[in-house]
Amino acid sequence: MEDIKYRVHEVLTDGNLDYKQKKHHLAYIAESTQAYPNVSSEAMKALSEKVICDLFEGSAPYRPRYVLPDYKLALKKGVAYLELDPPSDFDEAINFLSILYSHIPSITGYSVYLGNIDQLLLPFADELSEEAIYKKLKLFWRYIDRCLPDAFVHINIGPEDNIIARAVLRIERELKQVVPNLTLKYDTEKTSDALLTEAVKTVFEVAKPHIANHNMTASDFKGEYGVVSCYNSLPEGGGSHTLIRLNLKKITDSHQGNVEDFISKTLPQYCQMTLDVIEARTKYLVETVKYYETDFLAQEGIIKLENFSAMFGFYGLAECVNTLMKNNGKDYTYGHNEEANQLGHRILEEVKRIVDSRQLPYCKANDGKAFFHSQSGIDIDIDETAGARIPIGDEPDIYSHIKAVAPHHQLFNGGISDIFHFDETVKRNPLAILDIIKGAFKKGMRMFTFNLSDSEFIRITGYLVRRSDLKDFREEGSRYGSALFAANSMDNANIDNRKAKRVNSHERTASQY
Amino acid sequence: MSELQANISGIIKSSVIDGPGNRMVIFFQACNLNCMYCHNSHTIGLCNYCGICAEICPTQSLIVDKENKQITHNEATCTHCDTCLKICPEDSSPFYKKMSVENLISEILEVKDFISGITVSGGEVMLQAKFLKEFFTAIKVHSQLSNLSILVDSNGNVAQEKWNSIIDWVDGFMIDLKAYSPQIHKQITGFSNEKILNSIQYLNLKGKLKELRFVLVPDYNNSNKEIEQISNLMKNLSSDVKKILIKMRKHGIRGKYTSLSEPTTEEVLKAKNQIKEAGISLTVI
Ligand code: SF4
Ligand code: SF4
Repeated sequence: MEDIKYRVHEVLTDGNLDYKQKKHHLAYIAESTQAYPNVSSEAMKALSEKVICDLFEGSAPYRPRYVLPDYKLALKKGVAYLELDPPSDFDEAINFLSILYSHIPSITGYSVYLGNIDQLLLPFADELSEEAIYKKLKLFWRYIDRCLPDAFVHINIGPEDNIIARAVLRIERELKQVVPNLTLKYDTEKTSDALLTEAVKTVFEVAKPHIANHNMTASDFKGEYGVVSCYNSLPEGGGSHTLIRLNLKKITDSHQGNVEDFISKTLPQYCQMTLDVIEARTKYLVETVKYYETDFLAQEGIIKLENFSAMFGFYGLAECVNTLMKNNGKDYTYGHNEEANQLGHRILEEVKRIVDSRQLPYCKANDGKAFFHSQSGIDIDIDETAGARIPIGDEPDIYSHIKAVAPHHQLFNGGISDIFHFDETVKRNPLAILDIIKGAFKKGMRMFTFNLSDSEFIRITGYLVRRSDLKDFREEGSRYGSALFAANSMDNANIDNRKAKRVNSHERTASQY
Repeated sequence: MSELQANISGIIKSSVIDGPGNRMVIFFQACNLNCMYCHNSHTIGLCNYCGICAEICPTQSLIVDKENKQITHNEATCTHCDTCLKICPEDSSPFYKKMSVENLISEILEVKDFISGITVSGGEVMLQAKFLKEFFTAIKVHSQLSNLSILVDSNGNVAQEKWNSIIDWVDGFMIDLKAYSPQIHKQITGFSNEKILNSIQYLNLKGKLKELRFVLVPDYNNSNKEIEQISNLMKNLSSDVKKILIKMRKHGIRGKYTSLSEPTTEEVLKAKNQIKEAGISLTVI
């Protein structure tokens, strides 16, 4: 109790937090008074040592980690709980969504998914001129950034070229906001080169959108999907109860024995433990909290339990491979040597096999299996590289980079992202980026983006921060929760070594108090 | 396959500055001009196997076999200090390689999914027009490569029949102009420029001139008269030809030319304005 009192006091008196941020942190502390869902003492130990990491979801899950409302359905039917009738024009639709967004639960307190916005608004745009759409959307975008100030808030556009997708890109370039994070779904058949070029020019300005291989991603889902938070792909009208990630570096460091032992013993042991945590948390949310029976989104069919699964994530593959190689007397590194790359692929394939062969409760969206996710990392990851990425600053040339990472992109139905770095000179030649995007997708990549050296926007792991916000935050706190996260990331990782970046996020927050 | 080979000084598999899109750039060894400000002077000459570089190499990474006209370079011990390049009396290099059309095609195949096309550059590529003809034909008839565009980066210093031999395969030529008056041209490059001026007109006439680049060198080609003549030349070219003013940069130039000065902002502005006043749309880089 004394400890709680102290933690609460720390939050209350922290001048770097605004009122809402304090409230968020206080809730986290309150939640931490509850016993963790029932898992083995072994798993508890792994959790406390951050060998297995629940990404600060809290000890008593009372809302799913990732909720992807079926906004299309909501717009069609209205939302009784919020006394919202179906909108009949563009203004009403924007107003409707603005209200609904603020009621979507998440770990950060802000919705991680705002929908495939062009598809949602196009039916209301018929009568409007391009300028009118632009003006209304611009205000909407300002609302999103000011009222949902978290870099994990994510919106999608595409794959078809359309007036709204173009307006969004134009507004992004003009407003230069951190929020929302943005993904363009790209389809060779449906996305025009003109729209892709607009997107690339937008990347030059604000380090987004992320580009997703639409066909490849869509084929992993039964219905529609969305790209949310830090590049998780999940089913619309559902989402993921939880995301638990395994620290491949740590399990390699403590592993005794050779590569074969690692793959046949250590790896499966920890994968199962991670799956145990996923199962326990899922059950707690569904059975104890009864979230899916009591929340209005579920009651009104805007989300459905059958569209949910859970996510199995991992990070630190690069360190895992390098250590195994070294222990084997070989100084080969991931991203630079074919044998090391192959070992990386083998490990990931093995994890995928284990994940796919374990049936989990309440994971119907993926036929009882967890979605497999290459987790893009957070600020506390000091020694570990995000997911299956090549360590920052150590990336090889663009072709070798793609060759090293593309083969495993197909494994990640839950999403993966890589970041390619370019010199500023590429700004004069956006077509060059189009060439690389198309080539990378041909090689089987699922999602990636670009960073430019000297960009005002810094991509930390999966999210973005403005360089100036980081500086301000260090001095006096920021409106964005994620600036905190980013400041930590910048301090911890080699992010600034990388050619370009930016961000903001409420994910980890209260755990440090 | 033919036995033809070319001296290749380097290949860049991803370049975003050598034409539209992502391009593979192939650099050919040897040049028929000798510009004072050449940034890659080791691509000007051909090696005569004198062995001087091997003697001076601080890590003994080079072995010159005069009899068989071969140089062996030990990658593992080389520290890339560039001493060998700086010392070479021929403005050449021990590193360029003989490559066949087949060799180059297999290099392109590796990256074909990622590029809009290829650019050949130098040295002076047109000195190897015979090889280029065979190389370009091989690209355009290759089922997986025929969609790639081909750009040629040249100093223009060759006769008309050389252009004719490859023009049908090439999407565009990018030509550098160092000066308008033959005397000034000779000062800068060691050679006169009649062929170059003819080439510019000819390629323009054929609709294949893509870019004309003028490199501004203070005290040499920045007089009012010189710029006026350049402007007239540019004005008579198709509006599709991209006209570029390049500031001479001293990066990498040979020791004996370090007294050259880079143009000041004012000098660039003055030249730019003079050309623009002639009604030419100009890019400055
Ligand atoms: S590269 Fe130059 S120095 Fe070396 S052997 Fe050839 S000509 Fe002589
Ligand atoms: S670059 Fe230096 S070390 Fe390498 S071969 Fe030339 S002189 Fe020797």
